[in-house]
Amino acid sequence: MALQDYTNDMFGCSRCSLCKWIPQNQVKSWRFAKGCPSMDRYHFHAYSGSGRMIMGMSMLDGRSELGDAVAEIIYKCQLCGACQVACMAVRDDIDLGDVLLEERARCVEEGFLLPEHMEFIESMKREDNTLGMRKADRGNWAKGLDIPDINLERVEVLFHAGCRYSYDEDLMETVRNAVALLKKGGVKAGIAGRDEACCGGRAYETGYQGEMKKYADDMAGRVKASGAAMLVTPCADCYYTFKYLYPKNGISLDVEVLHITELADRLIRAGTIKPKRAVPMKVTYHDPCHLGRRGEAYRGGWSGENKLDRPIRFKQSGEKGVFEPPRNIIRSIPGIEFVEMERIREWSYCCGAGGGVLEAFPEFAGWTARERMEEVASTGAEALVTACPWCVRVFQDTIRETGSSLKVIDVTELLMRSLGGK
Amino acid sequence: MISKEAVRELEHALGAEFVSCEPAVMDGYAYQPTHAEILGLETKWCPYRPVAVVLPHTTEEVQAVVRICNAHKLQFKALSTGWGIWNAPGSDNVVQIDLRRMDKLTIDTKNMIAVMEPYVSGAQIQAEGMKSGLNVHMVGCGCHASPLASATSLMGPGCSGITTGYSPRNVLGVEWVLPDGEILRLGVPGQGNDEWFYGDGPGPSLRGIMRGTLGACGGLGVFTKCALKLFPWPGPAQPKVEGVLMDAKVEIPGTHSSFLCFLPNLSRFADAFYKISNAEIGYFMGKHAITGALLAGCMPRAYKNLVKSETVRSILTALQNTFVIILCGRTQREYDYQHKVLKQIIADCEGFMLNIGHVPLLHSMLWWGFIRNSLPPAIFRAGGRFTTAFGGFETIDQAVFQSKIGAVIKQELIDSGDMMDDLADNSWGGLYEGSSCLAHQEELAIFDPREPKQNEGVNKYIDKAMEASTKYTITPGIGFGGGGAVPHMLGPLIYNYHHWLLQIKETLDPGNSADPSFFIAPEAEKEKYLRDYARRRPQVARLVEDILAADKKRSDVP
Amino acid sequence: MVGKKALAGIVGEENVVTDRNILDAFAVDKSYGEGTPPAFLVKPHSTEEVQAVINLAKSEGFPLIPVSSGAPRDHEDTVPACADSVIVDLSDMKKIVRLDRRNKVALIEPGVTFGELHAAAKAAGLRVLMPLLPRMNKSVLASCLEREPFTIPKYQWDTTDPLMCMELVFGSGDIYRTGSAAGPGSLEAQWETGAAQKNPLGPGQWDPLRLVQGAQGTMGIVTWGSVKLELLPREEKCFLAAAEKMDELIEFSYLIQKFKLVDVCFIMNAVDLASLRMDVVGKFPPWVLVYSISGYEYFPGERIDYIEHDIEEMAHATGVLPISGVAGVSAGDIVGAATLPCEGIYWKDRLRGDCRDIFFITTLDRVPRFLDAMAGEAKAHGFPEGSLGIYIQPIQQGRNCHLEFNLMYDGRNADEAGRVRALYETASVRCADMGAFFSRPYGAWAALAYRKDQPTVKALKMVKHMLDPKGIMNPGKLSLGTEV
Ligand SMILES: Cc1cc2nc3c(=O)[nH]c(=O)nc-3n(C[C@H](O)[C@H](O)[C@H](O)COP(=O)(O)OP(=O)(O)OC[C@H]3O[C@@H](n4cnc5c(N)ncnc54)[C@H](O)[C@@H]3O)c2cc1C
Repeated sequence: MALQDYTNDMFGCSRCSLCKWIPQNQVKSWRFAKGCPSMDRYHFHAYSGSGRMIMGMSMLDGRSELGDAVAEIIYKCQLCGACQVACMAVRDDIDLGDVLLEERARCVEEGFLLPEHMEFIESMKREDNTLGMRKADRGNWAKGLDIPDINLERVEVLFHAGCRYSYDEDLMETVRNAVALLKKGGVKAGIAGRDEACCGGRAYETGYQGEMKKYADDMAGRVKASGAAMLVTPCADCYYTFKYLYPKNGISLDVEVLHITELADRLIRAGTIKPKRAVPMKVTYHDPCHLGRRGEAYRGGWSGENKLDRPIRFKQSGEKGVFEPPRNIIRSIPGIEFVEMERIREWSYCCGAGGGVLEAFPEFAGWTARERMEEVASTGAEALVTACPWCVRVFQDTIRETGSSLKVIDVTELLMRSLGGK
Repeated sequence: MISKEAVRELEHALGAEFVSCEPAVMDGYAYQPTHAEILGLETKWCPYRPVAVVLPHTTEEVQAVVRICNAHKLQFKALSTGWGIWNAPGSDNVVQIDLRRMDKLTIDTKNMIAVMEPYVSGAQIQAEGMKSGLNVHMVGCGCHASPLASATSLMGPGCSGITTGYSPRNVLGVEWVLPDGEILRLGVPGQGNDEWFYGDGPGPSLRGIMRGTLGACGGLGVFTKCALKLFPWPGPAQPKVEGVLMDAKVEIPGTHSSFLCFLPNLSRFADAFYKISNAEIGYFMGKHAITGALLAGCMPRAYKNLVKSETVRSILTALQNTFVIILCGRTQREYDYQHKVLKQIIADCEGFMLNIGHVPLLHSMLWWGFIRNSLPPAIFRAGGRFTTAFGGFETIDQAVFQSKIGAVIKQELIDSGDMMDDLADNSWGGLYEGSSCLAHQEELAIFDPREPKQNEGVNKYIDKAMEASTKYTITPGIGFGGGGAVPHMLGPLIYNYHHWLLQIKETLDPGNSADPSFFIAPEAEKEKYLRDYARRRPQVARLVEDILAADKKRSDVP
Repeated sequence: MVGKKALAGIVGEENVVTDRNILDAFAVDKSYGEGTPPAFLVKPHSTEEVQAVINLAKSEGFPLIPVSSGAPRDHEDTVPACADSVIVDLSDMKKIVRLDRRNKVALIEPGVTFGELHAAAKAAGLRVLMPLLPRMNKSVLASCLEREPFTIPKYQWDTTDPLMCMELVFGSGDIYRTGSAAGPGSLEAQWETGAAQKNPLGPGQWDPLRLVQGAQGTMGIVTWGSVKLELLPREEKCFLAAAEKMDELIEFSYLIQKFKLVDVCFIMNAVDLASLRMDVVGKFPPWVLVYSISGYEYFPGERIDYIEHDIEEMAHATGVLPISGVAGVSAGDIVGAATLPCEGIYWKDRLRGDCRDIFFITTLDRVPRFLDAMAGEAKAHGFPEGSLGIYIQPIQQGRNCHLEFNLMYDGRNADEAGRVRALYETASVRCADMGAFFSRPYGAWAALAYRKDQPTVKALKMVKHMLDPKGIMNPGKLSLGTEV
């Protein structure tokens, strides 16, 4: 698919601007009614879902040209998917999120590349990760953990840590906790260690669509070789790639894919693990876009002509993302006071890190995180719980910059505290 | 074209990041497909692209922009949330003022007044208002549009009108940057105390030149602040809502319920409206065509199949004279009384009603969808676009009369295969101002702009509706809003109102800096506007030639 | 100066009044305004005659002052400020052109008085939205044009209510129709389609009605108008809530209006109440909120019943006690007395013989500070508390209110009259300084109202120039200039 394949979607836009807000049914206040970080930060219509489609049409109709300025607008977007949810509340015939992806592919095709993105693409090519780290160090995070290596033995569950968890020192505790959690739950999981590679999702999102294929095939091969019937990841980005991008591009992993929170939730509900220790804390939960609305399994596959006739079940409207499992986990922990923000679930507000924004426009990423943190503050919560390494990263950086007293905790870590540590 | 100097000045006034001359960015303002067909315009790109787009943050910045435009002989046009063809630039010389950064809101809960800037949405005001038992009037396009824009600059009907009135009648003061950059504050705020509770006077009310049935659509300057009436909300401070629209699940108070009322014919339908109006019951009330708005919006695919079945058609046709009413009792006593009255009225009018409350999921979706006003855009689901015709604001009887004519016109076009089959049933409207017997009705039509035949059909429909409007002397509502040429054509039928509009325009804006394209074409541009219009709507070509000939005759007289 | 002949040529000899006694009486009214006696008074009988008079005034350059109500006149708005003026007395244009029961609207000429419309409406089961006790001969349209508040705030959706559409002749000589009456089509053609001239907006993108309302006759002359009527209740129950201090009634008053539970609704102090009911002077509590609950066509008793209960709860929550009467007077009697045209001596003059009013727009929560200020001023001017009537009329469904101080006095006592005048002048300024909004700026109030709002004055002058280019319509009013 290319941008021109979405002509009807783009021309379907009525310019209603619903894409700038959270779904109207959910507006609970003046303050937290808006849904699109890019629009909130830059304001011109072009930064909205609608404006991006109009830009696409404008280019296809030869009214404007793709240039540096336009490419910058295209990239100043976390691809958080909020616009698509709001749009799809009233439309069946517009796949807004896909248009945004295709615009980026076009940027890459025409050579409008951002140096920061090229940097991680290079790193991917060279070292199989997005963070510019050495491939050889990929498995270091698991040092000392007693976890099988799939290169050596077949496992029931393949645990895929993802690039950020593999390398980000600050987050290593979380991923190690995740492994501990699996163990506590009696899950026979293994890792690929230094042979684990990037899922390729970030490349696809930043327009280097072709790059993903290699990683996807690689991933599929690894899964197969491991003999696992289940793939578990603590990374929301990888999860989205497995659940949406791969199948959209015809790649099947042929195993059940779960986010760590889904698995933990199952274990709690099955009584296999029991959070017992009280964690007296008032917390709120931030839905990572890639786990929430964008973590919804690919619902495509319909091959008709006119999307007006497309049955609803093929609509990627986001409500089937992973929302309850992390909440169930939080609720299962004694002593916790759990409060919700206004923008949650498929109408959650982005943390700011996604879509290549953290790499290319850190100021914008931080701005977005601050906006979200104000919402956290409005709940009175002392900690923000989330389930994505990218979210945690940008929130922690912003807390450091702003001197905020807010704590950011990954949900598995919280669970481990209640389970009594490793 | 805009000069470098002008751009520099704009950047200096607002900051460079709030000014853009990038073609792709400006195209975001040159694509106004919705309702463009009403003017016979392409439902895609507007005829003109702005020369720059600016994002002021304060009234002073708006003033600065306006003054820069004046100094550089540029025109300007403001927009709030910017939905619909009325936002389109009317020449190749327009600076678009996107008011998105002006979004402050304060509420005076005791006196039921909200003071807002342009980019505050209906949903935001409602959400804040409900916390103190208040609600706001929202127009039928949905709750994400700007009540300020509607009240100061555009139209006004919306389905809670029985409780929340009609936009232009709810104004309690405005702050208005005139086309020369001066600020005029209407009513109490003019006294300089930043108090906002009354919008008329001292003496004559200048709301009279601000707008009428319609607003000036940006043609008289920029409204930067406005006080609007709020109305009672006898419900929860923050309804517990799950889901985004069609999937909504809501805790509905026991003292609220929604009813679908079916009447045997339009005359009994009208009677029921009058009786409800007289009984002063109901919180929300609208005519939502069963086959059009309701089925097409809620189940677009099923609806297309359903209308193919003769049996279903006959059932749907029998159910066409329908309206939805929501009773919202503040107390059980109030609800019980209203319910009893409603039942009696419907019985007296030989109709029957369904309590949607008995179908909880449907009720959730409709109750909150209507109260929040989030449902209307769902009408786009069936075809991707819809158009509207007629749209007067007068008595209930006239609304019904108008809907009969609309149905005849539409049926002909359905029969000839020009329009989507909705059983010619897509009237939409409602009651306004409680006991006032005021009603508004429009004739909607769903179409897919991507299908050339449907585009054509819709254009024919609009043509015929316009003809009928004048032939049957129906008070024009939407008809007034067809752009700068329209007053010159309708004026002679309506006490030459265009002469007065011209005077207002020329006095307030001698330099014609506020884009007049959806207000009135100034004398100097009249011929161009009329000819453009006639080119797009050939059925008025004759009229246009007559008007121009008469003008010429007048100017030939020494 | 225009000659009688020219005027007689338009309206007929018998309709040009030259009687000096009558004319001289126009040089003053009950207010402090002092003007110049008019040269003539004419009584047109049709729109065409009005137009011809205006055209004559335009070409000859003499001022016109439209008058519709009978004497006594007040507020200075009909006192000619310039010499050689002609009073256009519309009181003979008395037709009730149409009374539409279904759409609850009457199309009337300016000479139709409250007394007359009230009777006609009542016969059709309808009621007129009336100010508090208008005098019998007060023109309904004139009252509407003055934006006089009426006693049932729930029916006032916008300030223009109950006036809907009108026909008028601008000072420019153009005949115009406003709102949906403007067309397309004649009135008859509109009626054919079910229309009833009920939409006050427009035509098109302006609202001339708003420019003529509140204009004190400076823009044009109205020749007919449609006014909305409401159902006459089938049943009605009236209540009072008494209080020592006005503040105690505020919250309750907000609540009952917010939910449009009550019909008639206003607050008065004991002095004004006593003026309504002279037989019980001195017995009323300091403050009384008067309200009525109505039942209409369907289950009227049950409507009253549920509202009564709902209001009881509100009263309880706000510390107010609804009662059915006070000082031996029933609430129904008070509502009855307050909602009919005033017969005999005008109610405000009953207590002391004369009365000066200070009134303006504010909001209920702001009222107490004006009460304090006024009490202070009254004291400073030696004005007795027992002569200070206060009337608070919520308008626009309770979003704001008309606050009126009635300074009652004996006009034959020069000393007292002098003190009242001084009080009137100082208190007006004091209130204006405190944010009182003189939306109807009669006489000297115009200067007060416009002093801080030059942009409005400028825009009004522009409007005036447009609608009345020769400045013939009631020059000298509203700070709009006196040039003819
Ligand atoms: C699908 C659809 C359905 C609609 N249905 C209804 C309906 O049922 N009832 C109804 O009344 N209207 C309806 N409208 C019109 C609607 O009223 C407006 O689109 C909306 O209310 C106004 O809000 P907005 O923020 O979108 O205004 P905008 O679209 O931003 O502006 C509307 C007009 O006002 C001008 N304007 C806006 N803000 C300012 C300002 N601050 N100063 C000066 N000029 C300004 C703009 O130039 C434009 O001409 C509909 C429109 C659409 C597209």
